[in-house]
Amino acid sequence: MDDIKKTIIWLIILTAPVACILISLCLGRYPVPLLEVIQIFWCKLTFNTCGLPEMHQIVVWDIRFPRAVLGALVGGSLAISGAAFQGLFKNPLVSSGILGVSSGAGFGAALAILLFSSALIIYPMALFFGILAVCLSYMIGRIYKTSPVIMLVLGGVIVSSVFSALISFAKYVADPYEQLPTIVFWLMGSLASARIEDIAIAGIPMILGMLGILAVRWQVNVLSMGDKEARTLGVNTRLIRGVIIVSATLATAGAVCISGVIGWIGLVIPHISRMLAGNDNKILLPLSISLGACFLILVDNLGRILTGSEIPLGILTALVGGPFFVYLLKKTKGGGW
Amino acid sequence: MTLVNIEKAAFSYGTEDVFSNLSLNINKGEICCLLGPNGCGKTTLLDCILGTLQLKKGRVLINRKETASMKPGKRARQIAYVPQRHDHTFPYTVLEIAMMGRAAYISMFSSPSDKDRKIAEEALERVGMTGFKDRPYTQLSGGEGQLVMIARALAQKTPLIIMDEPTAHLDFHNELLILETMSDLVKDYGLSIIMATHAPNHAFYFENKGINTSAALMHKGCFLAHGSPHEVLCEEKIKTLYNINTKIVSFEIDKGETRTQIVPIGTNRF
Repeated sequence: MDDIKKTIIWLIILTAPVACILISLCLGRYPVPLLEVIQIFWCKLTFNTCGLPEMHQIVVWDIRFPRAVLGALVGGSLAISGAAFQGLFKNPLVSSGILGVSSGAGFGAALAILLFSSALIIYPMALFFGILAVCLSYMIGRIYKTSPVIMLVLGGVIVSSVFSALISFAKYVADPYEQLPTIVFWLMGSLASARIEDIAIAGIPMILGMLGILAVRWQVNVLSMGDKEARTLGVNTRLIRGVIIVSATLATAGAVCISGVIGWIGLVIPHISRMLAGNDNKILLPLSISLGACFLILVDNLGRILTGSEIPLGILTALVGGPFFVYLLKKTKGGGW
Repeated sequence: MTLVNIEKAAFSYGTEDVFSNLSLNINKGEICCLLGPNGCGKTTLLDCILGTLQLKKGRVLINRKETASMKPGKRARQIAYVPQRHDHTFPYTVLEIAMMGRAAYISMFSSPSDKDRKIAEEALERVGMTGFKDRPYTQLSGGEGQLVMIARALAQKTPLIIMDEPTAHLDFHNELLILETMSDLVKDYGLSIIMATHAPNHAFYFENKGINTSAALMHKGCFLAHGSPHEVLCEEKIKTLYNINTKIVSFEIDKGETRTQIVPIGTNRF
């Protein structure tokens, strides 16, 4: 890739999410002009009072801003984990949920809704079960040692289906008037619950996870050559694989526990990034974060604006993303596949 | 000067012995052709030298240091590997593939420098693939793909390259192209190569080219013979190894230049 194209892609990576966040602060039931948004930001950051309506300040600073930041973190986490797992498992059809983290977290949330009335307990429970699911997959993967990657995938499939069955069981025994709708809505995904305090908690694993993957991003290229070749090329495959699995699990579990199960992003954003920037994970992984963040923020805006009540994110991501993906496939002639 | 010593190597899958008590020395600038029927353990022996499998007994030394105790990065600066079949995954460009040969010189948290890039480009130039460097390697032909794998091994800057049937699946032209590339590398850089092959004529090819060549015949978990091709590749030993009748022929192709070849006559079915 020539240097000009590389520079342009890095510019997109750095500026696009900021632009998307700014746009989403303007849009909604109470439209706020961009200039006012910037003014409000300036006042808040310099601790000055500004003469704008209190209503606008609350909408922009307390409601839309946390939500947009959360969207960026969740979208980025899901997309980079998916991209890293695709490289690790040498399979472009893998997504961030491959090791069972989504179904585990989903079950944790369902269990929390069943057993406790407080919504606050949902996050830790979802996080815990998401991480537990990955640990189980990893342990199953180590039963038979010769082909660690295939065994890991198999472990993920087993654990995912067990937790899916447990989710169904939780739905089956749930009170159909209060608990069941809560579980169903939670599973469909939403950013609506975003408050600064929640983001501060769930943001830590997401940011740590993303940084962990970014740190070893070039090694993902070598790992995708397969375990044996990567070792003969001089890579400590077990260590790098461990770093990627731990980081991706932190990022995905952090995302799922606060926003519910949002499919599609972890599978398709990496592909869109591949079409734009090629397959070198050195640039693919940062671009995945950026595009994942933009995509989720924009889709969340659509969900807020389109109808009077919010449309769950899990539905919209696929409905919007599907046709867009087909368009890109046609445009880039499949990107070398 | 000896580069590789294999001393009393033994390996088994579970209780089933693949080979036992194999010893072999390979010099600097030597090509060693590992011959033997399917399933005799050639690939297993190569895996043990590469360190992807652990020997049950014995040891492998390179430059008088034991390979089994080396860290992957250190080992990869001594031994490079060209696989028999490379599974394509993502359409990386040819240059990106060649740069992966630098992994052993790049720390865990960084990525290839300009110097690594230059080394990878030189390696591609050496095998004549410079014009392909921005092409997705998934779209290359079998011969071109194998040349890229050799370039990746060259970028590793090792004294030894291990090749597992590097010409399997290749057509007549590409087979010769790979063999020519290999003999150039040995002549120019003094590399050593251990290759597993099913064609005894490969050993003759290198010997005819005046390269320091040895053939090691693996049979029932031992070496039936090891030495220069014209000594060990005789009709009688080939019969023991593959159970076929052959004829060794020598002929003059130009003034003073003779070629030795082995011609298969028939199996002993009837």
